[in-house]
Amino acid sequence: MDANTVLLGVVVATALTFDFTNGFHDTANAMATSIATRALPPRVAVALSAMLNFVGAFLSLKVAATIANGIVDSGAITLTVVFAGLVGGLAWNLLTWYFGIPSSSSHALIGGVVGATLIAAGASAVKGAGIVSKVLIPAVLAPVFAIVVATIGTYLVYRITANVPDRVRTRGFRLGQIGSASLVSLAHGTNDAQKTMGVITLALIADHSIGKGDGTPFWVIVACAFVIALGTYIGGWRVIRTLGKGLTEIESPQGFAAEASSAAVIFAASHFGFPLSTTHVCSGSIMGAGVGKRLAEVRWGLAGRMVTAWVCTLPAAALVGAGAWKGADLIGGTSGVAAVFVVAVAFAAGLYLAARRQPVNHANVNDEWTGKLAPAKEPVA
Amino acid sequence: MSHFVDVDALWKVLVAGLLGGAGLAAVYALGLVGLSAYTAEDTGSAARPVGLAVAAACLLIVLVGPVSGSM
Repeated sequence: MDANTVLLGVVVATALTFDFTNGFHDTANAMATSIATRALPPRVAVALSAMLNFVGAFLSLKVAATIANGIVDSGAITLTVVFAGLVGGLAWNLLTWYFGIPSSSSHALIGGVVGATLIAAGASAVKGAGIVSKVLIPAVLAPVFAIVVATIGTYLVYRITANVPDRVRTRGFRLGQIGSASLVSLAHGTNDAQKTMGVITLALIADHSIGKGDGTPFWVIVACAFVIALGTYIGGWRVIRTLGKGLTEIESPQGFAAEASSAAVIFAASHFGFPLSTTHVCSGSIMGAGVGKRLAEVRWGLAGRMVTAWVCTLPAAALVGAGAWKGADLIGGTSGVAAVFVVAVAFAAGLYLAARRQPVNHANVNDEWTGKLAPAKEPVA
Repeated sequence: MSHFVDVDALWKVLVAGLLGGAGLAAVYALGLVGLSAYTAEDTGSAARPVGLAVAAACLLIVLVGPVSGSM
């Protein structure tokens, strides 16, 4: 095996790891509300979402490779740049997961790639207009659209069913919630698994393993679909808790309206070729569901922290991406990439161990929100 | 601004989002109203079949809506 094959292997492994974090970071988008309203038991919810993510990944290949096409000059892409960009996205995904903040995996990946490209090839290789029109403007509009749709939806749903007996209403909306949350899972698989497929395809092209005009190889599709489903199944319980319990207390009609709004906005946007972050849409929908029910409380302090994290995502991931490229470049060659890989693995392991000390899992995800992510430990009787 | 934003597409996304998100959610809610009229014990004989018809029609719209919308 020559050095280049090793390098390609490391890049593909890193990409699949990113795909995995993308899955578990975003389980919350589809399933947080269904878990919070007990429409589905937590483990059933993540299993359903995982299956639909897997199916969704096969539905379309339109988005694959656009992630780098419209954002950086593809001539500037080397394996090291792809690798450093992935490390930037990965680091930010894990850090926000640790703090239980739903942040956009797509932005993290784009930020990482842009940062690595900036330092590797200079500002001219980054397409500024592409970033504004394809990333920044949708980032502002996505949550706003979702808030509007979910607020109106929630208001209508409560208004229309005001005289429906509680028993019928709760059961009916729980069922409806399962349906709409399933649509969101499907849409997530379609949108997000493709981003990793695009990145791996790009790496294969940069390595001349496949030609420029070739499509995404089938093994890449299967691997990405499987890994994102696996990540979804592991469940990012910390993020689920923030979205389902922290942001606002959710009843099943609100959960239903929120997921319906998310599914509609995501499908509408991708239909009209307008890339949105699933995370931004779903978080906005849940805020809207809180606003639309009269007197329901949205914890705006937490919402503010989430928005701050969204603003930081691109620059922070870019910084890590740039740092990763520089580090690999200073050491040089395959051993440079390997060194950065080891550092990244150590960082991930550290966060994992830190999270273990105050775990959030399927058993305590629905505990009363006390202003902190990790619920207080039950005294052992 | 318009150089960066396709205002036309934006409007379409918002309208489609409202129709599919808030609209279909409202139709589903209407279906539950029909269902509760059908299952309630104290309603008159006319209200029951009407309730069932409303519930069935609404459920059909909600099921067909997303499929036709994604075509």
